[in-house]
Amino acid sequence: MTELLEIENLSVRFPVRKKGAGWGGKTYLTAVDSVNFTVRKGETLAIVGESGSGKTTAALAIARLVTGETTGQVRLEGKDILPLQQEQLKAMRRKVQVIFQDPYSSLNPRQRAEDIVREPLDSLTGKSASEKAAIVDELFAAVGLRPEQKRLFPHQFSGGQRQRIGIARALSTRPEVIICDEPVSALDVAVQAQILNLLRRLQADFGLTYLFISHDLGVVQHMCDSVAVMYMGKIVEHADRIALFSNPQHPYTEALLSAVPSVDAKRREETRRILIPGDPPDPLNLPKGCRFASRCPIAEPRCSESEPPLKQAGNGGMVACHLREAG
Amino acid sequence: MEPLLKVENLRIELATRAGVAPVIDDLSFELGHGENISFVGESGCGKSMTALAIMGLLPDRIGRIASGRIIFDGEDLTKASEKRLRDLRGNEISMIFQEPMTSLNPVYTVGEQIAEVLREHEKLGKTAAHNAAIELLDAVRIPNPKGRVNDYPFQMSGGQRQRVMIAIALACKPKILIADEPTTALDVTVQAQIFDLLRDLRKEFGTSIIMITHDMGAVAEMAERMIVMYAGRKAEVGPVQQIIEHARHPYTKGLISCVPHIMADPTFEREELTEIPGIVPGLGEFGQNKCLFAERCNMVVDKCLRKRPPEAVFANGQKAACWRAEEV
Amino acid sequence: MTDQTTEPTVKAQSPLSEAWDMFRRNHAAMAGLVVLCCIVLGAIFGPYLYPGKPFEMAWAPFSPPGADGFLLGTDYLGRDLLAQIIHGARVTLIIGLSAAIVTVVIGVTIGAMAGFYGGIVEEALMRFTEFFQVLPTLLFSMVIVALFGASLPMITLAIGLVSWTAVARITRAEFLRIRELEYVMASRASGASGRKLMFRVILPNALPPIIVQSALMVGSAILFEAGLSFLGLTDPNVISWGQIIGSNRQYILESSFTVTIPGLAIFITVLAISLVGDGLNDALNPRLRQR
Repeated sequence: MTELLEIENLSVRFPVRKKGAGWGGKTYLTAVDSVNFTVRKGETLAIVGESGSGKTTAALAIARLVTGETTGQVRLEGKDILPLQQEQLKAMRRKVQVIFQDPYSSLNPRQRAEDIVREPLDSLTGKSASEKAAIVDELFAAVGLRPEQKRLFPHQFSGGQRQRIGIARALSTRPEVIICDEPVSALDVAVQAQILNLLRRLQADFGLTYLFISHDLGVVQHMCDSVAVMYMGKIVEHADRIALFSNPQHPYTEALLSAVPSVDAKRREETRRILIPGDPPDPLNLPKGCRFASRCPIAEPRCSESEPPLKQAGNGGMVACHLREAG
Repeated sequence: MEPLLKVENLRIELATRAGVAPVIDDLSFELGHGENISFVGESGCGKSMTALAIMGLLPDRIGRIASGRIIFDGEDLTKASEKRLRDLRGNEISMIFQEPMTSLNPVYTVGEQIAEVLREHEKLGKTAAHNAAIELLDAVRIPNPKGRVNDYPFQMSGGQRQRVMIAIALACKPKILIADEPTTALDVTVQAQIFDLLRDLRKEFGTSIIMITHDMGAVAEMAERMIVMYAGRKAEVGPVQQIIEHARHPYTKGLISCVPHIMADPTFEREELTEIPGIVPGLGEFGQNKCLFAERCNMVVDKCLRKRPPEAVFANGQKAACWRAEEV
Repeated sequence: MTDQTTEPTVKAQSPLSEAWDMFRRNHAAMAGLVVLCCIVLGAIFGPYLYPGKPFEMAWAPFSPPGADGFLLGTDYLGRDLLAQIIHGARVTLIIGLSAAIVTVVIGVTIGAMAGFYGGIVEEALMRFTEFFQVLPTLLFSMVIVALFGASLPMITLAIGLVSWTAVARITRAEFLRIRELEYVMASRASGASGRKLMFRVILPNALPPIIVQSALMVGSAILFEAGLSFLGLTDPNVISWGQIIGSNRQYILESSFTVTIPGLAIFITVLAISLVGDGLNDALNPRLRQR
C-alpha cells in the first residue's frame, strides 16, 4: 500500500489576546504541535482525543479549512498542499472532502437537498448541468435517499438523513480522502449504526481513504485500521487498531480506554479503572516536559524535565513516553 | 418494605399543534431505597418527560398528567399542591441536567448557588450555608474547595461544573437524585470520574438514583435495573446484566447491538453493526393500539399492527412488551 | 437498509412558505397586514377616487368633521382634511419606505463587511458606526435638512443617515454567528469564493432579523418625518401627515381635530407596521416555529 497522505511537523496556532497585556499584547495558542503521521491509501486512520486535544484542528488543517497559522507539510500524493492557491487549491479540494459533525448546522437551511449535494460540483468542476444532475441522482441512491427527497429543505429531514446528505455532498467530487469529523456523535444511537455501516460500505465501493476524528473509542475501534491518540496538541501514541486496543502503551491511552463504560461484563472485571485526576494544563502555558506528566499515574521526575519524542513502542506502534520504549 | 417511589399507570399528555398526544403512555415502575435505575432509549421516547413529571416540572399549559399516580414516600405527587412540590424539589428529589455549561447561573459564584439551596430548604444562616457549600465542594472532589467556592461558573471546566451541579443537587441530602444524561457533554475520562463520584455518594448518603441515558455501557456500569422506553411506552424492564445477556424485546436487542462496544478481546473481523432502520415516530403516532415499534422491527407479525402487546413476564422481574418476547 | 419505509412523503415546503403559514396563524399580525394593505391601496388609488384637492380652499376654515359634506372637516385654511390625508399618505409612506431602504443599504453593507472580514476592518467600521450612534439624531438630521434644503430626497437621506446603526449592528452580529456555523465551512470546503460566502451563503441566512428591523424602521421613519415636519423642516410643496400636524399646530386648542386626525392616521399606520413586524419576527424565528 502506498502512503496517500503524509503529515510532517504540522503545527497550527491561533493568536489570542493576552489577558492584562494591554494594547497589542498577543500570545499564541498552539492547538496542534509538530504532528507527524501518514495515511495509506484505502485505510482508515482515526485520531482520537478529548476536547481540546487538537484533533479536529489537525484534521481541518489538512483540509485547508483552519484560520490559524499553519506550518509544516501536508503531502497529498507526494505534493505539499499547504501553499496551494486558486486553481491548484480547487484541484486539491476536489480530492479532499469533509463530513461534518453536526448535521443540524452543516447544511445551509436555505438550500434544497440537491443543491447542497451539487455545491462542490458547481464550485470545483466544470461539468455540465446534465452531468451534475446524473451524479446527484447516483449519490442520492448511494447514500439511501429517495429521488423525490431531492427537492426538500434540510429541516424536513431527520438527523440521520441530514448526515446522509452531508455524506453525498462529500462524495460528489469523487475525492481520494474524506475527513470525517465526529460524523455520528450528534446522532441517536440507533441511527449511528446506520451511518457507520453506510460509511464502511461506501469506503469499499468508492475506494475511499478516511481520516476519522472521534472521541468515541467504541466507534473508533469499529471503524479504523490504525489509531493516533492526541493529547494537548501532541500525538502521544500511534498504532494499529488491535495493538492499541489490546496492548496500549501510553498511560493516557490506557486511562482513556479504561474509562469507557462497557456492556461486556468480562471486560468490566478485567479492566482496572485508571483514574487521571485533575484537569489538563493551561494550553496557553504548557509545561516544559511531558504534557501529561501532571496527571500521569506513573510519572517520574524526568517527565517534567524533557518532552518525550514519538518513538518505536513494544506493541509495534509509536509512543511518546519516557517510560515505555521498545525493548 | 414499601418502595421509595412508585409510579402507577402514569399517562402524560402533551398538547401539540396536531392535537393531544400521550408522551408517556401507561407507565408503571418502582424505585427502591438506595436503588439505581436507568431509563434508556433514543431521544423523543419520553425519558426526560418521566423525570420532569416526577419533579412536578411539566411544561405549563402544554403538558399535564392525565391519569395515574406518582407515590413518593406514601404521598401522591400528582395531587400535591405547587407549594408542596416546591418544597420537595431540591430537597427530597433533585435533578442534574445534561448541560453543565448552561444549567448554572453565570452571574453568581458557585458557592452562592450552593448556599442558596441550603438557605431556602434547610433555613441555614449565611455563614453556615457558606461553610456547608465548601464541605459539599469537597465532597464532590473539587480540589481546593475553600478557594474555588468564590469562583464563577465560567472559571471552571465542564467536569467541575457538573460536580457543582451534583453538589447543589445533593445539598439537602435528597432521597432521589434524577440525572438526565449527566455525562453526555463530557469527555470519557471526566465521565468516569463523575460516575465514580455518583457511586460513592450513593454509598455514603443512600440516595436512590434515576439515570436517564442512551448509553448502554453507562447503564451497565451504573444501574441495577433498567427501563427501556420506546415512543412513550415501557418496552422492557429488568435487571441490567440479565437484559444485556438476553434482551426479550427486539428494540432492546437492537439498542445493545447497534453500538460498537469495546470488547475485552478485539478481533480482526468486524461484523456490520445491527441497524434499527428508520427513526422514532413523531408524537402524532403515539398512543395507537398497536406495537409502535412494529415499523422498525425485523420480527413484526400481523398481530403487532393490530393490538398493543401486553407485558410478557420472565425471571427476576424482567418484563417485555412484545408479542414474540418468548422467541427473542 | 434505510429509512425508506418509515418516512412519510413530505411536501417540499420552502422556508419562506412555512414562514407565511406561521404568519397567517398570528391574528394580530394579520390584522396589521390587512390595515396596512388598506392604507397602501388608499394611498395609491385614493387621489383618483376622491375628487377633493388638498391645496385648495374648499370651505370655511375649521369646519368640524362631518359638517357640510366634509367627512373629516377642514383645516385652518379651509382645505379639505380628507383630501390632505389621502394625498399625504403617499408622501408619508414613500418617505417611510425609502428611508428604510437607505437604512438597510447602509446598515447591511457596513454590518456585513464588519462581520465577514473581522479584524481591523471590523474594528474601524464599528467605531464608525458608534460615531453615528452617539450623534443626537434629531439635531443631526435637522442640520442636514437645514444645510441642504428641505426636499423629499434630503429628508429621506437625513432619516436614513441617523438610523442605520441599528441595522448595522444586527447584521454584524448575525454574520459573526453564522460565520462560525458548519455549513459555511462546508461551503468553503466545496470551494466557494469569499464573495459567494458573503452574499449567497451568509446573507440569506442573516436576513430574518434584518427584515424585521427594517419593517419596524418604516414605522419609525414615518414618526421621524412627522417630527421634522412638526418643526417646519419639510418641503412645503408636498403634503405629508406630519406636515398637516405641523401647519395646524397653532390651533391645537381651538380645533384639536385638525391635529388629532393626521395624528391618528400616523398612529394607526405605525401600529399596523409594528404588528406586521412582530408577526414577521415570530414567523421568521426558527426557534419559535417548533411550537
